[in-house]
Amino acid sequence: MAEIIFLLIVVPFIAALGCLLFRIQFIRASIIIICAGLLMGGSLFLIPMIPFAYSPGSFFGVNIHEILQGADFLLLLIIFYFGIKHKNLVIQALSIFQAVMLGYLEFFLSDGGGHDVVFYCDHLSLILVLIICIIGSIICLQAIPYMKNHEAHLKIAVSRQPGFFFVMLLFLGGMNGVVLANDMKFLYFFFEVTTLCSFLLIGHDKTERATRNAVRALWMNSIGGAAFVSGLVYLYVKLGMLDMQNIIHTTPQAGIIVLPMALLCFASFTKSAQFPFQSWLLGAMVAPTPVSALLHSSTMVKVGVYLVLRIAPAIQGMFLSQCITVFGAFTFLAGAALAVGQSNGKKVLAYSTISNLGLIFACAGVNTSEAITAAIILIIFHAVSKALLFLCVGTIEQHIESRNIEDMRGLYTRMPLTALITVMGVITMIMPPFGLLLGKWMAMEAAARSFFGIIMIAMGSALTVMYWARWAGILMSDPFAGKFKLERQPVLTWFALISLSLGAASLSVVSPWIYKLGIIPAMGKDYLSSYALDFGILENSFGVFAVLPLSLVAVFGFLIAVLAVKGATRSRIVMPYLSGVQTSEPRVFRGPMNQNVIAEAGNYYLSSIFGETRLTAWINIGAVILLTLVIGGAL
Amino acid sequence: MSNTIIAIIIGFLVAPLVGGLISGLDRIITARLQGRIGPPVWQAFYDVIKLMSKESMVVNVWQAFCAYAYVSAAAIAVVLFFLKSDLLLILFIQAVGAVFLVVGALSSTSPYSQVGAHRELLQILAYEPLIILVIAGIYLETGSFKISAIYDWNQPLIFKLPFLFVALGYALTIKLRKSPFDLSTSHHGHQELVKGVLTDYSGPYLALIEIGHWYDVVLLLGFCSLFWATGAVGMLALLALTYFAEILIDNVTARMTWRWMLGYVWAMGFTLCSVNLIWVILG
Repeated sequence: MAEIIFLLIVVPFIAALGCLLFRIQFIRASIIIICAGLLMGGSLFLIPMIPFAYSPGSFFGVNIHEILQGADFLLLLIIFYFGIKHKNLVIQALSIFQAVMLGYLEFFLSDGGGHDVVFYCDHLSLILVLIICIIGSIICLQAIPYMKNHEAHLKIAVSRQPGFFFVMLLFLGGMNGVVLANDMKFLYFFFEVTTLCSFLLIGHDKTERATRNAVRALWMNSIGGAAFVSGLVYLYVKLGMLDMQNIIHTTPQAGIIVLPMALLCFASFTKSAQFPFQSWLLGAMVAPTPVSALLHSSTMVKVGVYLVLRIAPAIQGMFLSQCITVFGAFTFLAGAALAVGQSNGKKVLAYSTISNLGLIFACAGVNTSEAITAAIILIIFHAVSKALLFLCVGTIEQHIESRNIEDMRGLYTRMPLTALITVMGVITMIMPPFGLLLGKWMAMEAAARSFFGIIMIAMGSALTVMYWARWAGILMSDPFAGKFKLERQPVLTWFALISLSLGAASLSVVSPWIYKLGIIPAMGKDYLSSYALDFGILENSFGVFAVLPLSLVAVFGFLIAVLAVKGATRSRIVMPYLSGVQTSEPRVFRGPMNQNVIAEAGNYYLSSIFGETRLTAWINIGAVILLTLVIGGAL
Repeated sequence: MSNTIIAIIIGFLVAPLVGGLISGLDRIITARLQGRIGPPVWQAFYDVIKLMSKESMVVNVWQAFCAYAYVSAAAIAVVLFFLKSDLLLILFIQAVGAVFLVVGALSSTSPYSQVGAHRELLQILAYEPLIILVIAGIYLETGSFKISAIYDWNQPLIFKLPFLFVALGYALTIKLRKSPFDLSTSHHGHQELVKGVLTDYSGPYLALIEIGHWYDVVLLLGFCSLFWATGAVGMLALLALTYFAEILIDNVTARMTWRWMLGYVWAMGFTLCSVNLIWVILG
């Protein structure tokens, strides 16, 4: 136990230090690759060991609780320092507030700690650890060639990569800490580590815009930190302990825990960039793409949904739970609506993340066995597909120097494989039999009894199809006869893209068994397992999704369609229809006076309806009202 | 087991024939309403056979992929319907076909295809949430998303879910490409859009899409049939009346813009659905 915890949490910290100290490209790359391998291996080794509880007494001879106290205050001091440096009063005030609350908790309430189980790993933690270690590591690997290109492009003289990879690896360690910690003081520490890491990564490029966005991320997440620590103090005052498993399963009186739970949910919403805190995640895309990929898929935003899923059993049947459903469904709809209005590829991805996380929160709020299953499925597949799409966009961006969707028209002829993988990523986002759609299907069936929930989810779902389909379509938009030359990319880039796309597809096929072996135990005794598994068909009393048969049919259909493509390469390739006056150029027609005119068509972004300037203010107001309901309902 | 095989055969082979026949009848009735005689009832099949025999031409080979994907998804959705599977799942599979149709049109650079594709997306945006809410309403009433359970329900759903049936009617009108919602393409060419989303599909590929459309017609009528599942006579009467109403609406309305469609269908549709859902939840 000790070894595996050490491997998952401490080793990334050590490797991070290694990246910082050895400032040579080759050594750094080796350290990252070794660390990635250790994390992936370690996460797999975890599988046979769960569930387990582990409380280290000391770490290299020092009491671990004292280490934690020191690290906590050091962390807040660092955040305070950045508050001073960037002259941000909110950050300063919030870090002082957190330090005071923490000091009160540590020195006046608690007697030095040590009664609560420090680490606890069950199937839910395991699923998250696997996501963090495998997907997070793949992203770090892809970052090696990416950052080299990035710095070459920006013409940076002294490489800042040591600092970059220091934080990236630190982030992975911190994330593992979040999902493994059971003593909520430890959880809070790792929670703050991820806040600080994201701040450092967003500000990495040190441009004015990067710094501004990083500071925004820090103060918004500090609000979450403050809510978190307030919840802890409240819990400790009332219950005299901060042992997560104990708190959830002994479920004292609902009246006592509802407010701290609402505060923890609030902290989760800030972490997961739900409205009205979305702007920090949108601002985060100024950072190099691997950072976005990491923040959006396997780390940071997943902290929020993990935390709410963790406490979900304790709030079953409460009004708070219903409020979370409505809030989540609202975010799902609002995020999708804003994504429709965007032509910036990274912004589409960002809003789609916010929207999907909203759906996960909505599921956690519905809080039935089906809904929790849906939430976990969505977490897994969203992580894979979103990481894939971010890495695709990053690769495309380095190639065409634009992240605008309109500039990706006919990308297929320039970067065939990357474009195909991107389309594949989009398909895994919206189509059956892939995992995200499976999750959405479960979510809808579970939420059908929630009136506001189902209406908003239905609308959001249709908007989601719209913004993905048009993106996939224009990647292919060019006359094309079926012969292409593969583009050249670094090996690690291909490795990341191909492994993630294959992962998204193959995990979908085995999703019924993921459900059986991972999700049912993850729900434990809190929820009765709902779906029966038969020949890869998931079925419960009111719904049925034939995952495996449909996958086989899909493979079959795909093969037929591919054969059709092969057949089509023999057919006559004609120019697109331009009213009979087309020339030999695909986009050019003969206009008046025999002059050539270029015919242009752009996507509908409907910015008069779905534009940011039009919607954001209203959505923020709506979200604040709903958040007030979440917290106010708990008072 | 033999039931399963029969269901698959009916879904796969008989359904498109019925769909084609309905198209033929549709054209005759439409012609009569307009004071014409109209084509023979088998005309839809003649069209497809003729298209099949044409030379295969594409702008982009991915169009072939998309045409096959569209027709496969439409067929699978219908087969699953006859296997009495899950309604939401069927809707999602149908949506796969709709999306591939759009992607295929987008893969050509012709502005007619492009604009048609985007209008098609807007049509999906208009009707999909309504169908989801209709399905949710059916679930609230019968307690199941499975068609097998819904067909076993002991009274016609239309009495409990009348407004949802009207909302489904909006979706049906859009899906059948009838006025006032025939924005993305229609049975006759548009002045401003030629054939819209279908502009650059031709020959055998266009034939596939036509067959896919027949499957879609059957599927949507199948959704309508859920509202009167207690007897064959009542079901057929409901379907015939519904389809005749569609033809009538097609003939007495003009094509509108997508803005109007989105505003009108969402406003009316969501109101109807909300009223009916609240009614069911409270009742």
